[in-house]
Amino acid sequence: MKSVIEINNISKTYKGATEKSLNNISFSIHKGDKIGIFGPNGAGKTTLISIICGIINSSEGEILYHKNGESINLKSMLYSIGYVPQDFSFYEELTPYQNLMYFGSLYAIPKDELQTKIEKLLSVLGLKHVIHKKITKFSGGMKRRVNLAIGIINDPDLLFLDEPTVGVDVQSKNAIIAYLEELNKNGTTIVYTSHHLNEAQEFCNRIALIDQGNLIDCDSLENLLSKNHETSLERLFLKLTGIEYRD
Amino acid sequence: MGKLTASIKKEFLLLVSDKVGLLLMYLMPIFLVFVITIVQDSTFKLVNENNIEILVVNKDNGELGDSLISILQKTGSFRITENKNLGKEKIKATLVADNQLLAFEIPRGFTSELKEKARGISRGMLEELGVIDADTASKTERHSSPLNMYYDPILQENFRHSIANSIYSLLGSLENRLMIESLYEEMGYDEVPSNLEHELSSNRIEIKQIAASNSSNETIPNSTQHNVPAWSIFAMFFMVISLGGNIVKERLSGSFVRLQTIPSSFSLVLLSKVFIYLIVALSQLAIIFILGKFLFPLLALPSLSMPSNLLGLLVISILSAFSAISFAMLVGTYSKTVEQASGFGAITIIIFAAIGGIWVPSFVMPAYLQTIGKISPLHWCLEGYYTLFLRDGEWNLLLPSVIFLILFIFACQMLIYLKLKIQNFI
Repeated sequence: MKSVIEINNISKTYKGATEKSLNNISFSIHKGDKIGIFGPNGAGKTTLISIICGIINSSEGEILYHKNGESINLKSMLYSIGYVPQDFSFYEELTPYQNLMYFGSLYAIPKDELQTKIEKLLSVLGLKHVIHKKITKFSGGMKRRVNLAIGIINDPDLLFLDEPTVGVDVQSKNAIIAYLEELNKNGTTIVYTSHHLNEAQEFCNRIALIDQGNLIDCDSLENLLSKNHETSLERLFLKLTGIEYRD
Repeated sequence: MGKLTASIKKEFLLLVSDKVGLLLMYLMPIFLVFVITIVQDSTFKLVNENNIEILVVNKDNGELGDSLISILQKTGSFRITENKNLGKEKIKATLVADNQLLAFEIPRGFTSELKEKARGISRGMLEELGVIDADTASKTERHSSPLNMYYDPILQENFRHSIANSIYSLLGSLENRLMIESLYEEMGYDEVPSNLEHELSSNRIEIKQIAASNSSNETIPNSTQHNVPAWSIFAMFFMVISLGGNIVKERLSGSFVRLQTIPSSFSLVLLSKVFIYLIVALSQLAIIFILGKFLFPLLALPSLSMPSNLLGLLVISILSAFSAISFAMLVGTYSKTVEQASGFGAITIIIFAAIGGIWVPSFVMPAYLQTIGKISPLHWCLEGYYTLFLRDGEWNLLLPSVIFLILFIFACQMLIYLKLKIQNFI
């Protein structure tokens, strides 16, 4: 399978920290993957996604980006990347339309095309009726969907989602997951972190388990379960990461 | 839509979405300029335009107490209420009860003591000159009862002193007249020649006030010329609360982080902020200047006289606005919370304003504070405007302000760059 991103021996030590947040992590993300990065709190999931997306630099190692079989640099890759952070990273004082117009324009999407895209996207995510309302008054679920909409406004080939369904109701969660499935069917590679292991078990085809900055394993869910003689991701998670609190 | 246009539009939408903040940004400086100018102008009028109400308790049993009251009235600076029958405690009680600021008590024997003093001095002079024989009585030191001035404790010390000095000056001329009369009397004349008396009372040397300016334009410095630029600068720098907070909020909300994953330059975001807030700052200035020029005269306040060097005005205004924006961005970049940015920013601007001469002129401050005040960007903005508005300054006079402000902007931008670089935003 073609890899779109190769993570080679990535380590990260934050300034002033004595221990590594990531320790020699290596794995590949393949085209069309729905890969879940899981680990306890503080395992290094967000740090890893931040390094892959270029938000922070790694202390050691390298990341190789590929598009159409060719190696490209991060700056070029950014046009193909979508990022949905855990926090609501938009302007709550503005409307969904204004936010999407702004972020979409930064990808140099032509205005007419962008307007059509925004209407379609908000319609699919059930936000069409509040398209011109200020986000400040939205529910948590609606804000999550706006957060997602901004992350996919550029039709990314590779989408990173950091806890995209945290704190939302079942309806919003279903809408988000259903839309992610649709994106994946249309060729978008998805890299995903979540605390909802059942949701991840249903959604992801590959799992990368991280604990205390180390990659425990990265394989398909079936392989991981059979290798470890477990029947569910939750039980596998507890077996490999232990039951002690990590934060 | 281009990236820069989109960024500018976003900044504009964020700005107008905060209607209260926007209103404050424009109304607060207008309110400040109006209030401070009216207060200063009315203080000026209070001192100079017959508005000081004084209670005079004349206990003198001679004619000089009345003469002093008459001189006070003739100056046109005081409105006098007379009451002869008040004791010390009653005077104090009347001041409090009638909400008056000042009272004077002319002591019993004021006339006789003053005449005795004048006679003693004139005899002494004539003895020294050998015109009359020495007399031990003339050399005796005389004690004069004081003129008691009662005041409301809220009356500022400098205002109190200026009134006391006016009265000293009037008393001085009364004493001089008595001395001359006494001299003539000692020399056997019945009265002082009328032309000499007239010379003594009216032909005083005039003090002509001339503003030191290189220009032939005789703009008279007034409260408007001082306050309009001073408080406009203060208002511009106060945008630290809005812009500084905006940057912190944007950073904390994760919008900056999202921008790192988008193929766009972070400088574009900063540039759009600078553009929008530059328009805000310049429009603040324009509105206040227009009000100073056209609305102030309708409120019986002095009109703002625009400087002749309009290019200089534009340069100083743009540099002042850039300094305010750079400072706000610096505070926003280094603050960890919106509260920190607002609190630190506001307090710093108040301190900068105080040491920079916005509230009280720098020249009244101690020398060390005047030196410290030179680190305040507000001081250099104000100096620039003073040069333009009050000294009708030429470019060589504006140069120190221009140089300092450029250095200040550069230093702020460098510190912003360093911080953003460390945070991996650039």
